[in-house]
Amino acid sequence: MSDNRGPAPDGATDGAATAQADTRSVKTGSLSSLVNTAGVYGIALLFLVLGAVLQFTGAIGNFLSPQNLLNIVDAVALVGIVAVGMSFVTYSGNYADMSVPTTMGLTGYICIELLRYGFIPAIIGAIGVSLLIGVLNGFVVGKFKANPIIWTLAVNYVTMGIIRLVWVNKQIYPDMKGSSPDVVALFDAIYRLRFFKLIGLPLVILILLVVIGQFVLTKTSFGVKLKLTGSAPKAAKLSGIPIETVIMTSFVLAAFTAAIAGLAVTSLSRVGAWYNGAGYDFKAVTAIVIGGMTLAGGRGTILGVLGGSLIIGILNNIMTLIGIGTFSQDMVRGAIFILVVGINAKSLRSLGRDDA
Amino acid sequence: MKKLAFIALAIALAAFVAVPLIGQTAAQKANLAASLKIDTSKLLSADNQLLLAPSTDNRKVPKRPADPNKLPETDPLHWYDMEWAGWNVKPTNIPKSPMTGAIGKKVIFIVHGDHPWTTACILGAQKVADAYQMEFKALSPNWDKVVQDQMIDQAIAEKPDMILLIPLDAKGAVQQARKINQAKIPLHLFNMLPDAAALNYSLGWTGPDDFGQFRLLARAWADELRKRNPGAKSIGVAYVQHAPGGSPFFARSFGPISELAGYAKEIKTLVAASPTPATFDANTTMQLVSDWITKYGDDLKGICASDDSAQALGIFEALEKAGRNDIVVVAAGNSKQGMDLVKDGKLFGITYQTAEGDGALSVQYAADWFNGKKLAVRQNLAQHIITAEDVEGFYPPQW
Repeated sequence: MSDNRGPAPDGATDGAATAQADTRSVKTGSLSSLVNTAGVYGIALLFLVLGAVLQFTGAIGNFLSPQNLLNIVDAVALVGIVAVGMSFVTYSGNYADMSVPTTMGLTGYICIELLRYGFIPAIIGAIGVSLLIGVLNGFVVGKFKANPIIWTLAVNYVTMGIIRLVWVNKQIYPDMKGSSPDVVALFDAIYRLRFFKLIGLPLVILILLVVIGQFVLTKTSFGVKLKLTGSAPKAAKLSGIPIETVIMTSFVLAAFTAAIAGLAVTSLSRVGAWYNGAGYDFKAVTAIVIGGMTLAGGRGTILGVLGGSLIIGILNNIMTLIGIGTFSQDMVRGAIFILVVGINAKSLRSLGRDDA
Repeated sequence: MKKLAFIALAIALAAFVAVPLIGQTAAQKANLAASLKIDTSKLLSADNQLLLAPSTDNRKVPKRPADPNKLPETDPLHWYDMEWAGWNVKPTNIPKSPMTGAIGKKVIFIVHGDHPWTTACILGAQKVADAYQMEFKALSPNWDKVVQDQMIDQAIAEKPDMILLIPLDAKGAVQQARKINQAKIPLHLFNMLPDAAALNYSLGWTGPDDFGQFRLLARAWADELRKRNPGAKSIGVAYVQHAPGGSPFFARSFGPISELAGYAKEIKTLVAASPTPATFDANTTMQLVSDWITKYGDDLKGICASDDSAQALGIFEALEKAGRNDIVVVAAGNSKQGMDLVKDGKLFGITYQTAEGDGALSVQYAADWFNGKKLAVRQNLAQHIITAEDVEGFYPPQW
């Protein structure tokens, strides 16, 4: 990186010079400024405009219809829920929680098994077991500085093995385990409950989690500690921040949202299966990164993560409406991913806000 | 004197070798006779269906076109090499049946990976193996081709009487089959159709006739579509496809597409796509189908899915959100979720995909070979379409 510092004032020592205000020149292009001003929602808006243009030119139909827009947010609700929790892990400087898929699967199994004792005990029991996974992850990564990716991947495999061992590699069904049809109906409603016949419960939960998550990240002392832990862990430790506890809390939050999503997926598919959460780890990481949260930690917002999830949803919607084939969709998705992350990273560098 | 001693020694040696052989042959004959008396035709699977239901497919194998790829995808013969794979093999170094009976034989059963379906498949295989008092060992590589290769090496080292294999990869199956064949161990492939060259090294192949099942399903689906849209000149349908690459991806969409091109020309394919990036995720399928409803509106009259669990549930979530109950949905079955949807009157029909029967038929094939029976190189599982009329008879589900 070139040194753009201006000359030191007359008589100033080198040491004094470093204490001067940072006068590095900043070359900001219009694109960088636009991206940083509008953020990820600017990109989402660009996709919406693209969809609208395609509709008005007749290339696609009904893109702007309320039902279609609702479909888009409905479709990203589950990924969004997982991403909100996992973003705390990312923010803490620990990349991602790769044990999310089997945490989701295990949540479903535990909940269905416990339905014989009623709906509430089943929910509490299932979430409780998932939180234990979060505690384990957080303890090992925080206390022993284990590589978070390798450790959580290992936990993912171990949990999968436990599920297969305990349930003899079989699926279980809520209507064969529930104590009564009412309990089964309640379980069925986790995913299917719709407010005003329009807004699904997962979407409501996502919005609540985003509001609470953004508040926790920006307005609480935990958020400040998490930021410092993620961006400068040594400084955080020297400042007296209990970084082990902070990291553990972030993993517990990730496990909590994985449990919520796991319950919703199990309710939707009406089966407890170890593969119920398959792929949600990578989908969540994609939403987090597109949302502008850096994997290095300490930078980004929960609102951005929501924006990242929305971009994925809008992109999928437009591609299907245009009629892009299965094989091409993955290529387009990958290209857009690189483009969005590239623009974000470039604009941050241009503004001197990221040297990652 | 020396001559007499030499003759006596020769006689003793000949007796030493011949007596056990004669004894063994007698034992083998008895074993064969006992094996042939065993009747597995009454065994039942968990869903109370016959474990080894005979195939009802009476279609004759058509002549292979010179170049199937030159035919349009709507021509059934375009799919000849997939649909009729196994019928035109060139047997290479295939051992002859020892005709010593199935009782006591050691078979190693290598599947593709852990899944509730696989558990049921192994259970069905075990039932037939138990009936023949076979030494049965099941191995699962958990969807890892490298691990499956290692398991094949391990199985060869154990020198079983036969290896039964679900190849994880169609192309990789050729090398796997050749390796087992060169080790002079009889091989039987089942469930997943491998590259045709792999079948040259196998005694035979057993499994579901995906193309045949979906041709049957397509006709039932077309009849229902016509009933609900009388006189319609064009009926738009869509296909939710399987994971790209495997034989079900083609069989479960191009099977019905090519069948309907001849049987019901008014049925037009609007779109065919695999939910991506997660093929068997209800949420991803829901988004895909919601987008189709947005795009095609009332023109969409039917959906054919590759899976009657997650995909079918995703489809019905999308239909319910859009308030569409006029769309006729069919799928590959028969999971509990799928059968529940049929029972509720939502899914019109699903294919009967017996997991236990799949495993059972492969072991039966092995037993028949040990028993010296003449076997077709390919044996399909029985075909059946489950509808609301008979779905009750398929409970409880196998997995």
